[in-house]
Amino acid sequence: MNRFAFACLMGVALAIALAFRLAAPDLRPMHHDEANQAVKFGTLLETGEYQYDREDHHGPTLYYLTLPAAWARGQSTLASLDEQTLRVVPAVFGSALILLLPLLAGGLGRGAIAAGALLSALSPALTYYSRFYIQETLLVFFTIGFLIALGRYAQRPAMATACWAGVCAGLAYATKETSVIVVPAAAAAALVAHRFSRAPGGSAGVRVAHLAAGTAAALAVAFVFYSSFFRHPSGLLESVRAFSTYINRGVAAGSHIQPWDYYLRLLSFSSSGGLVWTEGLILALALVGVVVAVRRSSAGFWPTYVALYSVITAVAFSLVPYKTPWNLLPFYIGFVLLAGLGAAALVGSARSRVARGLAVAVLLAAAWHLGVQDWRANFRYQADPRNPYVYAQTSPDFPRLARRIADLAGVHPDRNRMLVKVMAGPYEQWPLPWYLRRMTRVGYWSRAAEAGRLDDVPVIIASQENADAVNAVVGDTHVSEFYGLRPDVLLTVYIDRTLWSHFLK
Amino acid sequence: MNKNMLVCTIVSVVMLAPLLAGQAPDKEELKLQLPKPMFIGTPTNIKSPNLEAITGKSRGPFMVPVGTKLLSLKRPVTSSDRQPVIGELEMVTDGEKEGGDGYFIELGPSKQWVQIDLGAPCELHAILAWHYHSQARVYRDVIVQVSDDKDFLKGVTTVFNNDHDNSSGLGVGKDKEYIEVAEGRLFDPKGAKGRYLRLYSNGNTANDLNHYVEVEVYGTPSK
Repeated sequence: MNRFAFACLMGVALAIALAFRLAAPDLRPMHHDEANQAVKFGTLLETGEYQYDREDHHGPTLYYLTLPAAWARGQSTLASLDEQTLRVVPAVFGSALILLLPLLAGGLGRGAIAAGALLSALSPALTYYSRFYIQETLLVFFTIGFLIALGRYAQRPAMATACWAGVCAGLAYATKETSVIVVPAAAAAALVAHRFSRAPGGSAGVRVAHLAAGTAAALAVAFVFYSSFFRHPSGLLESVRAFSTYINRGVAAGSHIQPWDYYLRLLSFSSSGGLVWTEGLILALALVGVVVAVRRSSAGFWPTYVALYSVITAVAFSLVPYKTPWNLLPFYIGFVLLAGLGAAALVGSARSRVARGLAVAVLLAAAWHLGVQDWRANFRYQADPRNPYVYAQTSPDFPRLARRIADLAGVHPDRNRMLVKVMAGPYEQWPLPWYLRRMTRVGYWSRAAEAGRLDDVPVIIASQENADAVNAVVGDTHVSEFYGLRPDVLLTVYIDRTLWSHFLK
Repeated sequence: MNKNMLVCTIVSVVMLAPLLAGQAPDKEELKLQLPKPMFIGTPTNIKSPNLEAITGKSRGPFMVPVGTKLLSLKRPVTSSDRQPVIGELEMVTDGEKEGGDGYFIELGPSKQWVQIDLGAPCELHAILAWHYHSQARVYRDVIVQVSDDKDFLKGVTTVFNNDHDNSSGLGVGKDKEYIEVAEGRLFDPKGAKGRYLRLYSNGNTANDLNHYVEVEVYGTPSK
């Protein structure tokens, strides 16, 4: 493939990635994890204050990297934020990932990288979580940056490359604690691949000065972020202490515990409620890519390196009992690259032009099918439990509740100072703080008995556990409605009857 | 009781007996074939004054005029969403009521309707609808209307309306919302007359899409 064709294909892949990731960012209701992050970011935006919390939340890069997006849109408070400002950050990093891939073209081949870029642009899983205000897409971006830098260092050791790898490792660590799986996995893969390949120009080994510089770069970057830019110097140490929490969470029994093959099943095939999903094309091509990597192991470092990284991280994440679907991204991006390698190998193995054209046509048709699924996953079934990437997702019914309260506040004399009392456990409170961010008098209690007088409150929101207690107190003074929060989880809204009459007028 | 009253009573009974014996009953129980339940038990944690009480028991017999028949089977169906993503519109009246995959149609988000053409004006005595009964969920703004006008611009009779805030724009409804179950929701049209039946919904508590497994319309031809 010549440079011009390669550049064109990369441009197409980037355009597709941007279109799928940036379009209609507010289509899917805010997941409770996103809402939690958004409120955390709101505090940073309003006060400039951020302090790492080792009991909850991940690393700080997501919050700091959202600041430019908010500034660009002239937003300075939590109330002024919207989904577009927040979700543009992972969307940009998810798309920018494609810009990193040409750096691998020398090792994997232009055809493989072009195919990999198109597949990553169209992958429903990669797109779905690039539209999610969580850390994963940033982690993948920094991990791939580290993977490339480390591979280049293994090929040709240099101080600058070591520092580049260190910066990426530091950013990955400052993004999410699971970087301690992917960064060592990449290092192990590089070591093994280097040992088994006899590629020309291979390095003589790691130099101590380079290792020290890379480590220092990683620590410096991590320190800057975890210390909240030197305000809380203990932040980096706290991030290390957090590992006991995450290790306990990783193996403790709970609703996120899944069997070892959870990610494989999720990606390969799922069928529910008349909808069928599969990223089998990528998995099958990745398998071909692994075969290619094994066959070329004696001659090429990069195919072996990428294959080893993908397999090691996939095994490691599969062995951790705690699983959430977005955790598949760090290893799945490796599979996507291998799929590109597999696709290029299949096309390259065709002996005639006709056969090659047929192979390309079949692959494009399969990519089209992937694109259709991508559209369905993100623009039609983006919050539907039948979508395999949907996980404890807020129901599309829930924003109606937020609109109802906004409409009621519009006819209430206190406007957005209208009192709202919420009686629900923590799991049922989120994402209310995000959706009610423009209301200035919202109180949260776990139990109705703790919330004080209720009969004169204009709007009460209660979980089903609290509904009986609220019903008994408000009697006929309030009308009630209920809204789906998540599948089988409903919230009841009680509205003062006089306010309701005003609203209906 | 004195003798005169006793004599009058006996004479009355004797005179009316032939009339009573010759008159057939005008009502009978509507016989229904229901699908098997898809989820066990009822979601008893869902409580709201605006929600029909969940008893966990079956509906009980529903009486209709003698001669009432199923009018909707295989009748043509139209919809506000002409190309459902899942299923075909004919499935609404195909007689298949199971809750699993392959038995329902899925219409687009927000307010949507399906309409059944009964072929001729009829007097309706029962309407039975299943939106989606493999999961406990509530469909929003369920409105059932009957009319002789296929565009529902005139002569519209509203049989059921639980759009309590008029968000669908067809008027404030006083009926309560309800949870979908395998025995379907029975609407009593109370003899409303019309050729066309239209059912609206506006998303549900699980997603913003609209579904129909089956709609059955029972009645008699208009006199």
